Amino acid sequence: MAKKNVSVWTSVPFWRRSAAWVTGFATILLIWLSFDTLGQISMGTDADLKNGVDKRVPGPTVINYHIDYKMSKKRGHEVPVIGEKQLFFGKEWSEKDAAALLRLGKLTEQAKNCMDCHTLLGNGAYYAPDLTKAWLDPAWQKGGPMQGMTGKNTVEEAMAEFLQHPSQYPTHARMMPNLGITAQEAKGLVAFLKHMSSIDTNGFPRNFSKTVDQFKAGGTNAH
Amino acid sequence: MFEAFTDVNHSFFGFLNQGPLTLTIFLHTIIILPMFWIYFSEKKRLENEQ
Amino acid sequence: MLTSIKTNEFAKSSSKQLAMMYFRVAIILFGAQLLMGLIAAIQFLVPGFLFELFDFSVARMVHINALVVWMLYAMIGSVYFMLEDETGVEGVGIGIGKLAFWVLTAAVTVVVLVFIFVQVGAGTEASIWFINEGREYLEAPRWADIGIVVVVLTFYWNVFATYMKGQKTGIMTVMVANLMALAGLYLAGMFFTDNISMDQFWWWWVIHLWVEATWEVFVGTLAAYALIKIINAKREIVEMWLWIEVLMLFGSGILGLGHHYFWIGTPEYWWEIGALFSALEPVPLVAMFVHVLYDWGKEQGAAHAEGKPGAVANNGPAIAWIVTNAFGNFLGAGVWGFFHTLPQVNIYTHGTQFTAAHGHLAFFGAYATILIGMMYMGVQYASGVKMLKSTFKSKMAIFLITFGVLGMTVALTIAGYEQVLIERAELGGGWQAFFTAQELPWYIQAQIWRTIMGVVTFVGFIYLVWDLVTIGKQAKTAEAAA
Repeated sequence: MAKKNVSVWTSVPFWRRSAAWVTGFATILLIWLSFDTLGQISMGTDADLKNGVDKRVPGPTVINYHIDYKMSKKRGHEVPVIGEKQLFFGKEWSEKDAAALLRLGKLTEQAKNCMDCHTLLGNGAYYAPDLTKAWLDPAWQKGGPMQGMTGKNTVEEAMAEFLQHPSQYPTHARMMPNLGITAQEAKGLVAFLKHMSSIDTNGFPRNFSKTVDQFKAGGTNAH
Repeated sequence: MFEAFTDVNHSFFGFLNQGPLTLTIFLHTIIILPMFWIYFSEKKRLENEQ
Repeated sequence: MLTSIKTNEFAKSSSKQLAMMYFRVAIILFGAQLLMGLIAAIQFLVPGFLFELFDFSVARMVHINALVVWMLYAMIGSVYFMLEDETGVEGVGIGIGKLAFWVLTAAVTVVVLVFIFVQVGAGTEASIWFINEGREYLEAPRWADIGIVVVVLTFYWNVFATYMKGQKTGIMTVMVANLMALAGLYLAGMFFTDNISMDQFWWWWVIHLWVEATWEVFVGTLAAYALIKIINAKREIVEMWLWIEVLMLFGSGILGLGHHYFWIGTPEYWWEIGALFSALEPVPLVAMFVHVLYDWGKEQGAAHAEGKPGAVANNGPAIAWIVTNAFGNFLGAGVWGFFHTLPQVNIYTHGTQFTAAHGHLAFFGAYATILIGMMYMGVQYASGVKMLKSTFKSKMAIFLITFGVLGMTVALTIAGYEQVLIERAELGGGWQAFFTAQELPWYIQAQIWRTIMGVVTFVGFIYLVWDLVTIGKQAKTAEAAA
């Protein structure tokens, strides 16, 4: 039998089967990739921190350490660097207490709707500064305008003070409103911010708050 | 051609990601290739029709 | 549109009546969205405006939630509208569907009132359950999430049962399969985690796989149905295009999700996956544009060849909005999305007004346009006219709204560009860098233009509502006189 002249490109079943294949297989790949990623972004533990195991999202006790954000030659961008022990609100937090504080912070972040003004990890609204590395922001460090304004001596105390009375401080014409944040919730939020600054964001934001001199020196941010 | 592994954690997809666009080209290819089979089987079906 | 549908001898389908109920609420929420947007835009210029009364976060929350909800309403309405035409049988269980409509509308009212009057809660689980979940676009408290799931299940049962009973067209098959994915994805956004990276990972499953995959396929399905209804396009051709669109939209859109996984703590391999798959996302949007215009031209040409003078489209405003959709989808979702989809660019543009510019044109171009087109089809049906011609008001509405949204988009793009260069590239982000960029004259000028264009959009919206309310009666009177 001679072959008939057929038109596959205009055949509905051809496109239907192709659509089903591509959709189904892309979905399977996405699920596979998601499992792989979920394993990598699950939160680390206190033991990981003690043993120097690199986790993309460290455990809550990372609040007991000094955190920096430095250029990594190997990665080709800045990465969080977890350093020496550092007291947080004047004490070292146990794994259980740190986890509870972080949880309170995350709940408060959601209940106060932070993301409809700020961005977290770059997502949210664009009315107020990105908070991804807020913990490391020079404005909050010793000598920075935000810490100076609150009259406190540590980053965490300055942030907690500001969060409780944001509209009392002369920051900018566009002020943060008073959201009724309690002292304990403020502590939780600061823990949440410190923890977020320790997440490996593949170098976002780039050149965080650097001056040209610091950039040339290949050095650090505010610290 | 292949660079040293740079990411934090080792994984299958991270391994494929070591060359220039290797991972994404690999994924595109395995999605598109079976469409050749779909094409030819459809052609056969149309030819045998009636 | 607001005139009572019950008195109309043409409007006997209860499924279509239910569609009109959904359309009416949708248009009201659309108005609420625009008003909230105007308040938020003014707050960029006058920071003291409603400070600590109705803050930016509240205005913005209601702005984006009214957007999502009015679109879901109009989408559900559109499905009820096409259900009986496509399946050829009477809709199954529409009575329960009507009950679900009232439950959903009551729930939406309560959620909006709580958003406006309670605004925020204490840092407890109770706040997330009853006040505000605080996750952009998914702010609806958990109780409402569960309510939405129940209502959507009822809606899905209406659609699925009718589909199983009636004829299974290609359009309806895609619709039924796609709706299942669309509804199921909502579940990925319904849990709490203290790990912000995990939170964002699943959040994007809902947001991206909605707006860059399932919603786009939904639009393709609606366009296919509308082309058959309005210009009498051939079903074989329309359905072949639909399958090609599904292939390309899902082929690029599903793994295109990777472009949201560049910077949230997820591995580096997403750079490549996100970049190349999402770079292909505009391709199906070009295809849809070509398809709509080609079919329109072909049917018009065929009608002329047969010696039939005049327009082939039996619904002027609807075809105008659908063509705007074809172009707006490509421009807003395709071009504006591609602008900043590569990680090398996105590391600077991520979280700036660039995203806002893209969001405005994409939601409008890809979704608002075609849903407004469906509303005009609803009006045509409700008034029982064979031909619905554009009025002066229809033209003012489409011109002012499109011009306004384009203007806002250009203004926000300029603001974003300035922000990218000054705040991000030059000053490296941070508190001081952010406000330095926000205070520059070019940024402020862009925000002024955005606000002006927002007002233009709102005037267009008033024309739109006015037209939807009056056009049907006008066309009916004209047809009776002829």
